[in-house]
Amino acid sequence: MNFSGRATLQLGASLLMLASAWAQADDNVTFWVRMQDSAVAQPLVKAWNGSHKEQISLTVIPNDDFITKFGTAAASGNVPDILAVDLIYVPQLAKAGQLTDITDKAKALPFANTLSKAHMRLANANGRQYALPFSAEGSVLLYNKGLYKKAGLDPNNPPKDWATIEANAKKITALGGGVKGFYFSGACGGCQIFTFAPYIWASGGDILSADGKTATLDKPQVKDALEFYHRMWSSGQISAGSKTDNGQNFINTFLTGKVGMVGTGAFAIGLLKREHPEIDFGITPFPGEKGGTGSFAGGDSIAIPKGSKHADVAYQFMTWCLSDAVQTEYFAKNGSIPVRSDLGPAYYKDDPRLKIAFDAFSAGQAPYSDKFPQLINDNNGPWATLVQDAVYGGDVNAAVKKAQTRFNEILSSK
Amino acid sequence: MIASLSRRQAIAGGLFVAPCLAMIAVFFFVPLAMTLWMSLHDWPLFGPRSFSGLANYVQLLQDASFWDSLWFTTRYTLLVTPALFIAAFILALVVQQPGRLSGLFRTAYFLPVVIGMSAASLLWVWLYNDQVGIFSAILMQLHLIDEPVQWFDSANSALLSIVAMVTWKMTGFTMVLLLVGMQAIPEDLYEAARIDGANRWHQLRYITLPLMRQTFALALTVSVIGSYLAFDQFYIMTHGGPQNSTIPVVFWIYRAAFTYSRVGYASAMSVVLLLILIVMSFVQLYLLRSDD
Repeated sequence: MNFSGRATLQLGASLLMLASAWAQADDNVTFWVRMQDSAVAQPLVKAWNGSHKEQISLTVIPNDDFITKFGTAAASGNVPDILAVDLIYVPQLAKAGQLTDITDKAKALPFANTLSKAHMRLANANGRQYALPFSAEGSVLLYNKGLYKKAGLDPNNPPKDWATIEANAKKITALGGGVKGFYFSGACGGCQIFTFAPYIWASGGDILSADGKTATLDKPQVKDALEFYHRMWSSGQISAGSKTDNGQNFINTFLTGKVGMVGTGAFAIGLLKREHPEIDFGITPFPGEKGGTGSFAGGDSIAIPKGSKHADVAYQFMTWCLSDAVQTEYFAKNGSIPVRSDLGPAYYKDDPRLKIAFDAFSAGQAPYSDKFPQLINDNNGPWATLVQDAVYGGDVNAAVKKAQTRFNEILSSK
Repeated sequence: MIASLSRRQAIAGGLFVAPCLAMIAVFFFVPLAMTLWMSLHDWPLFGPRSFSGLANYVQLLQDASFWDSLWFTTRYTLLVTPALFIAAFILALVVQQPGRLSGLFRTAYFLPVVIGMSAASLLWVWLYNDQVGIFSAILMQLHLIDEPVQWFDSANSALLSIVAMVTWKMTGFTMVLLLVGMQAIPEDLYEAARIDGANRWHQLRYITLPLMRQTFALALTVSVIGSYLAFDQFYIMTHGGPQNSTIPVVFWIYRAAFTYSRVGYASAMSVVLLLILIVMSFVQLYLLRSDD
């Protein structure tokens, strides 16, 4: 065979392989998750592919780009077959008609009444269900027991009101050597809803009305919580880097061992045990001003985008993820809160701190709004700006008034 | 025969140009036309869209946030462009001298250009970090400060911190443009000037600078356009903070499209920005046109 003959054959073979790969790729069920879920999603998909004929291709997308990427995919009509998305985006996607209605199937699930209430509520629009829970995360207050001891505080008696947090923070800061009593990421809207709003909820207040259509920032609990943070900032209990931290140091500062208390997620328990065994830590629910507890119930919901080419397999996968075995083996045993309340013990049986996180998540809440990205998650939006203006600026009343107006403008927009 | 040859040449020429034209059509004119079309619609990121005529443009005229971000971008451009030019011009003068190490220095100064803007921004976020960053550590070692500097703490210091990063990142590119201009000046002119008694300053003032006018025009246009389109460094380094004081116009467009889900409105902003850049580029090229 001459050279051109061989080249033609090789080219033909390559094209055939390409076409076959293309066809195979088209047959695969596509599944998009954000980076945050990749650690749990990867073994999950591997297990599914090992036991099912229908193969799933997993795509992990950076957290911040997720909605951008899904938006462009939806505009071009090239959506994934399955989508695991931050639960707070579900109302927006459901309202825009981007998700498949799964109401009847969801109601028929034998464990339907054990599914995370926060996830189910946010996935429900006008009585129809558009998603199921996928992963869970609850926010809690993390404290350094070693610093508590050094400061003469009882490490087994975490704060149960704001005055104690302030008093403890002052004693810890007084240790000197760069140690600070408290920390939070001050330029991060998502971090504030996760770790600051629970103080408001625990005190009986809220930032939105129950129907999610009106701002309630002018309620006294919001102002009081902002003043509580402002007092800690202005009296030097919080390190200066907090003001410009857009979430990059959300947990990092605590890992230095020089921070007394920080709001964070249940994920931190596993992280600290695995990578910082030298830090002796405790966790507690966020307290209200004079008692009570609050938590943000977060995580991802799983849904079938409209236009999915494999909706049946997608639904099978969704319910498989919720099965006893998968929730126990791939979520609970890997340190991820199961989204079914009946499977909690598999998660927390070995560590009482996990029980606190599980209870915080189970009792936690998440605001329902199809404007959540603009209101809350946007680091330049009114929620993040409220905390910046009030906590660092100090004029709490003016900051609240401005944010209340801006919230309602956004909520009343189309 | 001549006519037929030229027709054949024209066809051949057309075929050679065709791939390039196709690329420009697909990657420039089609997106541009789509942007124009989208700007005339109420076009959400998700859900149905509807024709809205010039409503987006009318709203844009009254949108103080857009004009604020345009003014902020202008301030950024006014800071970063001279910084780039001065640094690049000095470096170009240094590395144009023949010498064994000039090639090495040219490469060294150009190296930051090959790093992506996002990667460079992330790198500098950590250099500026108050806990592990090297800048604060050096200043503390020199006993110039007692506590780490919060570089992004105020609007001005955040802006200047980004200007410093971009100057480091892009000086090499402007340097290469200026170097090409410098090397295009015939050596005879300098030789004649030296014979006439011109010193180095005279040669720079009366030969180098005037003859580099077109190079300056090109470098200035590229720098101004690049500055007006700045996004990555602000998105990564300051996220628009503190208190929304560092939001350039492209960042605002991004927010309109992907945070506020208003793709049509974001398209209208893009069209207006494009028009502003076209006018500015024409003005710059006109002002720095060659006397010939």
